[in-house]
Amino acid sequence: MLDVFQQLQLMLGGVSTTLAISILSLFFGFIIGLPLAFIRSYEKSLGFLVDVFEKVFRGVPELVLMLMFYFGFGLFVPFPFGNAFFTAVFVLSLRSAANQSQIFRGAIRGVGEEQMVAGSSLGLSRWQSIVRVMIPQVFIFSTPGLGSEYALLVKDSAYAFVLGVIEIMKVTDMIRAATYDPVTPYLASAFLYILLTFPIATYLDAWGSRKKKKLGL
Amino acid sequence: MANVMECRHLWKTYKQHIVAVKDVSMQIGKGEIKLIFGPSGSGKSTFLRCMAMLTLPDKGDIFLGDECLTKPGVDLNKARARIGFVFQHICLFRHLTALGNVELALRRVLKFPKEVARERALQALREVKMEEWAHHYPAQLSGGQQQRVGIARALARNPDIILLDEPTSALDPELIGEVIDTLRDLATKGATMLIVSHEMPFAREVADEMIFYDEGKIVETGPPEHFFKNPHSERARKFLTRLIKKTQREQNA
Repeated sequence: MLDVFQQLQLMLGGVSTTLAISILSLFFGFIIGLPLAFIRSYEKSLGFLVDVFEKVFRGVPELVLMLMFYFGFGLFVPFPFGNAFFTAVFVLSLRSAANQSQIFRGAIRGVGEEQMVAGSSLGLSRWQSIVRVMIPQVFIFSTPGLGSEYALLVKDSAYAFVLGVIEIMKVTDMIRAATYDPVTPYLASAFLYILLTFPIATYLDAWGSRKKKKLGL
Repeated sequence: MANVMECRHLWKTYKQHIVAVKDVSMQIGKGEIKLIFGPSGSGKSTFLRCMAMLTLPDKGDIFLGDECLTKPGVDLNKARARIGFVFQHICLFRHLTALGNVELALRRVLKFPKEVARERALQALREVKMEEWAHHYPAQLSGGQQQRVGIARALARNPDIILLDEPTSALDPELIGEVIDTLRDLATKGATMLIVSHEMPFAREVADEMIFYDEGKIVETGPPEHFFKNPHSERARKFLTRLIKKTQREQNA
């Protein structure tokens, strides 16, 4: 049996693991997705590779990807795919990169080609125009999309449960098994997921809207 | 007189069949102001963008001073840094303040230290009478004010020449005057300018030469008086008559 204090302690550990998976995946998804969006927008020759990547990682269910990488590749490449936490973050990062690439591509179109031209007209290089002119505006444009992408990641981190990662879902299952209570643990975890997603996504959205209004984007 | 900018036998075709620039040659000397006018869709903007190498021409040569910009291997960013460009749709960077807009190229292209760049940017804003708006974002400014910042952004680097693509045509009529005043100031200070514009009273006042451009070609050139009194080509005559009538209507209204 687990007493309430132990349950809470377990849950707290689960929450931090869920947060770690989500935030790391959002971060790596950003690092990979942003360049992909610019490649797709400005380098038509490589664009089709990005397209294939996006189609694969948006089209295949996360569960399939995770099981494939962990049990499939993990068998032959134990390092790093033998590590469940790593594999969960790896798969979700790539999935998120594919999503974020699409979000940013829309934002690049929204900011407009003319801003790049204005950059070149001043003698800025393409790279400088992208970094100094496009990315700050693209980021503001993308905040609602990034907010929901974060929420999506928090929810999808639950798939890591099947790899045995001790996140919210796994802890819920452990508590259910130990207490024979099939209701309360699920309600508690549902509440926790809402708590983790809703405020941050809403805040990002509101921040972006305010910024957009101010800058007339 | 040494030419600040020159183009020889310039061609630009879109989608294989729309010829926007058809074998155009022209030159512009230091301190000269040339004004291009002509019907919309005739390729004036494309021509101006080619001159700034913002759109690459298919054939022909462009010279900035002695340097040929159309040779392979030319550092175009460096060349563009010497050309000021003012856009019809203004195209200010919306995430930067007026000062930030003007400062950007000074810091990142000319690599001025922060204080020097700031001083130069403020001076450019002073020249267009926008210094007190330095810390406002474009969205907080009127169209005329935005375009004045656009002009400050173009001239802050002390470019060899300023190209202006219909700088007033996207503005509400009551905002055109302040932009024209700014351009008049520039003209009296001896700036070299190539302007696409239909502001005829302004053209008459400041232009050394007017260029009637139609269907991708320079149809006729001459001093303003020539065009207002007796243009040779039928097309220029018709176009000007319409334009002058429109201007009079606006002034009476």
